[in-house]
Order: sequence, then C-alpha cells, then structure tokens
Amino acid sequence: MKLDRRRLAVLAAGGAAGALLPGWLEAGERPQPGDLLDGEDLPVREASWYKKLDGRKVECQLCPQACTVADMERGTCGVRENRDGIYYTLVHSVACSVHVDPIEKKPFFHVMPGETALSYATAGCNVECKFCQNWEISQFRPEQVRAYHLPPDAMVAAAKRSGAKLTAATYSEPVVFWEYVRDAAAAARSAGLKPTVVSNGFIQDQPLKEVLPLLSAFKVDLKAFTETFYREQVRGELEPVLKSLQTIHRAGVWLEIVVLLVPTLNDSEDEVRRLAAWVAENLDPSVPVHFTRFHPTYRLTNLPPTPVPTLERAWRVAKAEGLDFVYLGNLPGHEAENTYCPACGETVIRRLGFQILENRLQHGHCAGCKRAIPGVWS
Amino acid sequence: MSRRLSRRELVALMGAGMVGGARRSAARIAMRRGVVGVAGESPDDGDPGAPRRAMERAVRGAMGVATAAEGLAGLFGPSDTVGLKLNCLAGPRLSPRPVLVEALVDLLAEAGVSRRKIIVFERSSRELERAGFKIRRSGGPYLCYGTDNGWDRRPSVSGAIGSCFAAEVSTTCSALISFGVVKDHDLAGVSAGMKNWYGVIHNPNKYHDTNCDPYVADVMRHPFIAGKLRLTVLDGVHAQCQGGPAFFGPGIFPLGRVAVSTDPVAADLWAWQIIEKERARRGLPTLESEQRAPNFIATATGYGLGVGDPESLRVVKA
Repeated sequence: MKLDRRRLAVLAAGGAAGALLPGWLEAGERPQPGDLLDGEDLPVREASWYKKLDGRKVECQLCPQACTVADMERGTCGVRENRDGIYYTLVHSVACSVHVDPIEKKPFFHVMPGETALSYATAGCNVECKFCQNWEISQFRPEQVRAYHLPPDAMVAAAKRSGAKLTAATYSEPVVFWEYVRDAAAAARSAGLKPTVVSNGFIQDQPLKEVLPLLSAFKVDLKAFTETFYREQVRGELEPVLKSLQTIHRAGVWLEIVVLLVPTLNDSEDEVRRLAAWVAENLDPSVPVHFTRFHPTYRLTNLPPTPVPTLERAWRVAKAEGLDFVYLGNLPGHEAENTYCPACGETVIRRLGFQILENRLQHGHCAGCKRAIPGVWS
Repeated sequence: MSRRLSRRELVALMGAGMVGGARRSAARIAMRRGVVGVAGESPDDGDPGAPRRAMERAVRGAMGVATAAEGLAGLFGPSDTVGLKLNCLAGPRLSPRPVLVEALVDLLAEAGVSRRKIIVFERSSRELERAGFKIRRSGGPYLCYGTDNGWDRRPSVSGAIGSCFAAEVSTTCSALISFGVVKDHDLAGVSAGMKNWYGVIHNPNKYHDTNCDPYVADVMRHPFIAGKLRLTVLDGVHAQCQGGPAFFGPGIFPLGRVAVSTDPVAADLWAWQIIEKERARRGLPTLESEQRAPNFIATATGYGLGVGDPESLRVVKA
C-alpha cells in the first residue's frame, strides 16, 4: 500500500517532529512531517562519516567508493554534497517512497511472517546496477524526485498507526541515507518496533558496526560472486560486500541473502556452487539464501527473464552445498517459496508470493520434529 | 552491443543530417577543425559595448567570416530552436556573464533565429538565478530556465554512460551551443565546453571516476549532443587555474579572453593550455603530475568529435 501525502500526514500526525528541529542546519521555514519538499531547498544535515581534506575537499568514509569530493560537488551517490569543506547529507528525513509492505516482500522469510513493515527510501544509490528495478529513485538525485519530509518520530507514528510491527529501509540503497537509517532505527526500537534494512552491503565497516546494534534484521543483495560482475554490471566491488556479510552475521543481527540470477552473467552452476559454499563456510548454513528471477529493465533489456530451470538448478546446487534454507523468488506459487524443516523435511511455513498460507511454526520450532528454526519470530 | 534507437534518438539523428540526408536544420558551415577564435576583453573595461565586440570578433575568428551574423546564419536557421547550455555551478563570480550571453543572443537574432526559439538553460533555475539571469519561460528577448525536473523518462546509452537526458537537448532544441567558462576541475582537470554537458544528464555523479574519462566524451558523442552541437563559447574574461569546479578566489586570474569554436575538442584543448600556462606561472604542478590531466580530450579526438592535437590547434586572435 503506497501512502499518499494526505494519508502520510494523517499517519504522522502523532509524531513529535519538533523534537528534531534543533538538528536542522538550514532552518528557514521548517518543513513539517508530511510536507512535500522543494527539490531546490532540501533540509540538510552534516554527514556523520567523512574526513576533511586540504583545499576544502572531503573524503567520504561511508561506503567503499570513498569519494574525494571537492567544494560544490557530490559523491557518486548523488545525495551528499560538499559545501565549503563540510560534507552534508541531503536526504535525512527526505523520503521519496513510503509504503506498508508485507515483510515477505523484502524478502525476509524468517522474520515475523505475515507482519507488515513501514518501508521507506530516499533517492540515491552508491552503485549503478544495470538491472536496477528501482532506478527511477535510486539513480536520481534528491531534487529530481518527489519527496516528503518524514523525520524518524513521524515515521514511527505512521508505522504504529498502520499496524506495522517493523520498519524497513529499502527500495533504493539505505547506505546512502545511513544517518537517517540510524536515527529512524533508534526511534523505531524505542517504540517497540523492529527496524530492518534491505541493502547491497556496500558499506565501510565503521558505519556498519555503529548502526548494527539498532537493527533486528538485515537483508543483503549479493549481486554475484565475481569481481567482474561487480565491476561491469554494478560499478561496485564484491570483496567489501563479503566483509559486510561477515560483520553483520558476527554481530548477531538476523541476516538473509538475495541473489538475483541474471541469465549468462552470474547464473553458472560453478558460480552458484562457490557462492553457496562461501556462505556455508564463512557465515552459517542456516543463513537463508533467496535466488530470485531477473526481469529485463533499466539498462539491461537485452536479456530474457531467468529461465525457471536455471533457478531450480541453483536451488539444488545450494542445497547440495549444505545450505538449510534456500528459496526461489519472483516465482509465485513455486514450492521453493516454502520453508521446510532441515531435519524432517516437513513444511513449516507455506507461502504464495508474499502471502502466508500456513504457519506451522511453534515458538520457533518445527511442529513435527521440534527442531529449532532460526529467525526473528516474535 | 547494438541497440534499437528510440524514436526520439532517431529524430535527433535525422535533425543532424546523419540519417537519410534529410537535414532539418539550416547549418551550412562545416566545423573548422582545430580553430579557436579568441578575442580580448579587458576585465576592467567598463565599456558596455565591449562584450558584444569581443563576441563578434571571436565568432569571426572562429569561423573565418566577415561578420558574426554571417557566420551564425551559416550555423543556425530560422527553423532552429537554439539551446545555449550555460555552466553556472561556480556562482556569479565564475559563470558566463549575462551581458556576454545576451550579446550572443542578439547576434543569433540578427542572424535570423527567432528570439522565441532561443533558450538559455542550465540544469536548475536556481543556478541561473544565482548567476544573474532572470527566469523566463515565455516572452522577453529570449527564454531562460533550468531543466529542473524535465528529464527524459527513459535512460539512453552512449558508450559507458546510461542517462536520462534533459528535454532541452533530447526534444526541444534542434541546435546547441555550449557556453562555459575556463576553469580547473579537481577530477576532470578542466571544465570548459565539453564538461559542461554533464549538466544535461540526470546522473553526472556516477561518472566522475578515472578523471571523467571516457564519460565526458561519451556524453558528447550521444546523438542528442553530437548531432546538434554547433558552437562552443567560453567566457574567459576571468578564469580559474586551481580549486575548481567551485569558485575559489585564489585560483582566479584575469585572462581577458572570449573564445569561440565550432570544434568543441579544440576549444577544450585551448582552455587546458591556458590553465596549464597560468599554473606554470604560479609554480603549480601540471594537471598531469596531479594525475588529473583531461584525458577525455584525447578520447573525444579518438571519437572524431574534433581536434585534440596541440600541433593542429590554430588560435585565431581576432
């Protein structure tokens, strides 16, 4: 369900936006929660992770791009700007997409099945996947998209009123609005909500570690298992993402991984096998891995949708490598949408797309053999 | 990778005479490869007619014609909608001056272009206003506004870039002029005529690695630009040799030149030489030694967009 401006304002009405106002650097006529923002006059905040350099330059220390940014310029994300030697984020509380989604849509399959998440995004991304499904917000600058003022407290108020038990920073790339993620997660946690993040994991270690304690779950899009793919299709790097996966897992934050299989580019049996083996060896066999179906979009329109047999082969290969929970996505009705007990093989949760048809989980255990099924269940 | 052209791209190609020979525009004068016309204009000259005279001389020098109006009439016709893309990022102290822009607008009008079809534009109206321009979407001696949110809805690929282009270059205009300044750029090395076109793509922040190379040249060779670009004008009365692309006072120097060229690559090569000369005078290292040489000039030369060989550059002082 997409929230329009009126509905967002109603949901946010109970929010104490005023408590945040001292933080705004450019006051002027302060935006109110739910206000449509003027793209040329966005509220800004000093960024939390950067270093000042000589000559009014700055070095961003948020993501591995580590952009060196001159005065009046922006980093590769397009949402952080150097103004006279001080680096600002232009997207704190500047939400361009706000929806209440099933948590299965993220997808999280081991996080409070059947519940909803107040899901939000700003413009911008620190990479450029040629197959980006959300390029109309991720590949644009904040002043180029329609956005609303949604400070953390107002977001929490909106989530509560909608009945959502979770929040999700998602759609574009939460790393580029990491200060907003941090503050929204803190507000959500204080209000008894579970904050989650859906990200590419392309982030430096320090900012990741600072925010992880606030999060209940983290989904990482692992784009492929080769540097070539990351370089040519993503304009990013694989190695920092693998490091992030380990950092998240070691921090004890619930982790799920999504791999979009793009025909001919990252779908070989060998690559899937190496990826699954890496997860089993460096993370844990119980980390869910979702292989999802590619559909042609953005700059990659010359390839067909991923054939179903290719996805099913990936499922078999990953299971053979010892992974306990392997799913197939963008295939509504496929049996690989379900959660099966790794011990007895019983169906624990039956799904159809984002719907829960049956949940036989009993206090986090298989109803049949009583084996613990890992996840965030309550 | 071959790709089906969109209708809009096809129209742009046809407008440039690259398809089927159906030339929609009136350009009759071919690019004078490697030639840059340069005219002096003193930074301290209070004479209100000086910018106009400098522009006229620079156009004559660039095009080898007797009068500027004659030269411009060979490039632009009554059927053209002419877009002048300014670079106003550095604010009022290092943007094309309104008085010089208006001198060119007047000359275009004298050459037969309808004032209603002359559009002075930048990526945002805010930047134009900061640089001293008045926003006008109708009426007045010329139109003047920012692209703001007027981007194409679909991305278009050119070499390594994939971007939504400003409607002014994809749709509205049949002929284009790059109207920039002469300044240092911390990543690209030089920001003059070619780098100015980063302002017509929605995602320039994605294309600043490897000194913006080959990206600047890739933007330039897209049919929306390469098929319509007729002229490059550089307001070099003041220039900046370090600390760019934003305004940086200590880097400013009084160059006192207005440069015009039908060859966009040659214009940038000239700007590069000017910047290096001033840097040398000040004892600053070369751009190359700072690992930010504008290699996109060589790439653009390789694409056949103009002349980037210093041996072939011909500066005509007018």
